Amino acid sequence: MRSSMSMNKAPVTELTKRSAAKVFFENFDFSRKTSTVVFLIVILVAIGAFIWWLNIPFIEDIFTSSAITLIMALGFQLYMGNSGILNWSYVGYVGIGAFTSAIFSMTPALKAMQIPTMYPFLIGLHLPFPLALVAGALVAMIVAAVVAWPLMRLSDSVGAITQFALLIVINVILSQWSKVTNGPRTFTLGGTRLTTLWVTLGIAVIVIIAVYFFKESSLGLKLRATRDDRYAARSSGINFVAVRYFGYVASAFIGGLAGGLYSHYILSITAASFYMNELFTLLSMLVIGGSMSVSGAFFGTLLVTLARQGLRQFELFLTRSGFEASGTTEIVVAVLMVVFLIWRANGITGGGELSWFGIKRFLRIGAVKKEKIPKQKQQEEKV
Amino acid sequence: MSKYSEKASGRAHDPLPADDLILQVSDLHVYYGSIQALHGVSLEVRKGELVSICGVNGAGKSTVLKAISGVLKPKSGSVRFKGMDVTGKKPEQLHKLGMALVPEGRDIFPSLTVEENLRIGAFGRYDAKRFAADLEDFFTLFPILKERYNQAGGLLSGGEQQMLAIARGLISHPDLLMMDEPSLGLSPNRVDQIFDLIVELKSRGITILLVEQNAERALKIADRAYLFSNGKVEFAGRPGDMTDRVDITSIYLGGHEGGDAE
Amino acid sequence: MSGHVLLEFAINVLSMGSLYALIALGLVFVFGICKLINFAYGEFITVSTYVLYFLGTFTDLPWPLVFLIGILSGVAIGFLSELTAFRPFRGRSLDALLVTSFAISVILQRIFQLGISPRSKAVPYPAFFNMNIELFGVVTPLRNILMIGTTAVLLIVLVIVMNHTTLGVAMRGASENFVTARLMGVPANLVISVAFIISGFLAGVVAIFWSARTGSVEPLMGSSPLLIGFIAVVIGGMHSLPGAVLGGYVYAFIANVLSLTLPTSVLSYRDAVMFVIVIAFLVLKPEGIMRGNYQEERVG
Repeated sequence: MRSSMSMNKAPVTELTKRSAAKVFFENFDFSRKTSTVVFLIVILVAIGAFIWWLNIPFIEDIFTSSAITLIMALGFQLYMGNSGILNWSYVGYVGIGAFTSAIFSMTPALKAMQIPTMYPFLIGLHLPFPLALVAGALVAMIVAAVVAWPLMRLSDSVGAITQFALLIVINVILSQWSKVTNGPRTFTLGGTRLTTLWVTLGIAVIVIIAVYFFKESSLGLKLRATRDDRYAARSSGINFVAVRYFGYVASAFIGGLAGGLYSHYILSITAASFYMNELFTLLSMLVIGGSMSVSGAFFGTLLVTLARQGLRQFELFLTRSGFEASGTTEIVVAVLMVVFLIWRANGITGGGELSWFGIKRFLRIGAVKKEKIPKQKQQEEKV
Repeated sequence: MSKYSEKASGRAHDPLPADDLILQVSDLHVYYGSIQALHGVSLEVRKGELVSICGVNGAGKSTVLKAISGVLKPKSGSVRFKGMDVTGKKPEQLHKLGMALVPEGRDIFPSLTVEENLRIGAFGRYDAKRFAADLEDFFTLFPILKERYNQAGGLLSGGEQQMLAIARGLISHPDLLMMDEPSLGLSPNRVDQIFDLIVELKSRGITILLVEQNAERALKIADRAYLFSNGKVEFAGRPGDMTDRVDITSIYLGGHEGGDAE
Repeated sequence: MSGHVLLEFAINVLSMGSLYALIALGLVFVFGICKLINFAYGEFITVSTYVLYFLGTFTDLPWPLVFLIGILSGVAIGFLSELTAFRPFRGRSLDALLVTSFAISVILQRIFQLGISPRSKAVPYPAFFNMNIELFGVVTPLRNILMIGTTAVLLIVLVIVMNHTTLGVAMRGASENFVTARLMGVPANLVISVAFIISGFLAGVVAIFWSARTGSVEPLMGSSPLLIGFIAVVIGGMHSLPGAVLGGYVYAFIANVLSLTLPTSVLSYRDAVMFVIVIAFLVLKPEGIMRGNYQEERVG
């Protein structure tokens, strides 16, 4: 039997000697892996273009807001899918990005009028919309970078509660810091909606690419190693705290970006918009679609959005018929979520990505060798 | 394929009436997720016997006990206890039927006192009067428990905890006492104590299924033994027949090559 | 500091702490046995409160009976939710459990909104409950004293049950090592159901005292006590019952101190400060003040 010592040394020294990029491209199976990104982007752009061509404002709005939600879901998936850790505090960063980008993009005159109590130096800030978006994402990322390091060690129940507590802290600060966010009152951006269908579409495409390549990068790989087997990963020399940290911070950046898009779409925000309800919606998308893959976030968002729209119409219909129906949407989605958790916890995609290879296998085109890959089920502990 | 193709089942030697068969395991296949841990294991324990399961680390010895006691659900095969099919039943149900397990690593409840540990041990079959009577008996068998009666289990030494774990197994007056590696991690003195205790229990007529890595000691006291390797029964029979065979002794009784350990 | 102020402070801390301790206990009972953080616990309290509302508003039942039925409805919702919603998830990963309990919380909240009303309703209480009494020169509502007394009695009862009955010992064992407890004959279904029953019972008691302060009930009211429970449990220790109780009192103490000492401009941040303390605890001392005997992840 080969000594396990010698086996592990070779790849590590290889990686340190050669540049990361070189290794990345050498090991990257382009044909198989880019197909996912291509497919998702094609689907998204096709739908977007079609809806734009339809020229019905109502449907355009739905698409734009759904695309924003998709970006949010992708950021969420980046950390949750790869690390296996549910980031309960994520929507807090969306909120931070939303407020920050709004503060940067609004003209000083507008700010002074809407929120007279705002700090002068904030009133003075002004950046064009694209930069404001980036600023929002950056601030969210910086907050995450500052706060998150000690939290990355924690796992399981302690980790979950910590993230949850962090969400509450962010929420309280956002809803109380009147000089920045207008406190619990509505923060109105005014002006025109800067987040258009094409802006959102474009950013969504970029984010899809980014999140997917993160997953397949060496950092993403290491993160997934920590998800699958914490101890084996540690003994392979992966610093799982550092790896989680980078994933968390990256996730916060995307969340902040989505937040910025959101605030410039809806044009008036409060801290309450970035709290439990949004968290719940994102969770439902990932549970139903499948948290372990980018395609899962994509299809989860698609399905849940369609379901919610359908249910909303149903709710309206019921209300017009005289029944009290508000909240039906959430109940149905919640029940769906529980059903999925029982029956198919990895979502519809089950952790797999939409790819050319997968489609071929599905349609059994070509000589596709079917290797039996054992599913990593958990230990057969009977309870 | 096993080198030791003579799977001498005890039954071939002395046929006994069927209701003497306390435990009958047939063709058990057990998986951990997608990894198969037991490949068609069969064994028997008769009333009053001390049966030992030996083999190197990772051979599947503990897995067998877990499957019998209901902690693991076998994929196929059956377990019959006192003539009833109990395959896949829950651990608490099996305990009620009269099966008791002294788990690997002792696994006593550290924050509970010795007394409370014992009380839990009798949970399914608790009877206040009998409990009190049993205690007297136990204090002669396990004097140390009398001293530590109201101390938290976590404060006991390894050997004392093992005593407690065994006492906890006995307190429910089981029809079958299963022990998983009782001598593991104990000092040589304590190991002697434990094996003396097991012999004493056997002499009281208690049926024991003993999983032990210390094959030398186990085979000295066992009526019959099963030798496990890689999740299969490689050899079964009387210890006398085993110690005679040099190939068995070299592989199972001391000269273990780490080669195939899982 | 004058004796008056001190006494008032003490009564506030003790009564608030008693309430918080009960909330925390309700969470820890379930967590200890199932390792489940029950997000729906707030909704248990809400259910009981709605029952108090219905009985008090639409029936003429005497208040002891109303309170009793309120408590029993807490027991019922606890037992039923375990049976129908949590049992299918036994043995599943922690996140699945958390998300499930979160989903159930949402479902219940929406059911209240849909089935009853999204607006808050007034909950009638017997007059003496909120009457002010004077105790050594300090004026305080009677319910505060009742709160302290009720909690004291309940704690004594729980201590007796957990330490001197076989079931209590079995539950403590099961929360330490569930599998081994089953091997000793402790039935899994029994201890889990009992844990939820006790949790629901405590929710019912909390419901009585919680809405006495606001006098009303509304669909989303459960989130406040839930968050309080979280804080108390984290401070005091998730893995021990005495820890939960201690956490409740410590939280009440800190909250009252902050109320008194924080400058008014910062006062609205009191909750944020509390949660930062929570996070600090989790990072530095995850097991809380009182360490239970739980071993976090045995490696190998």
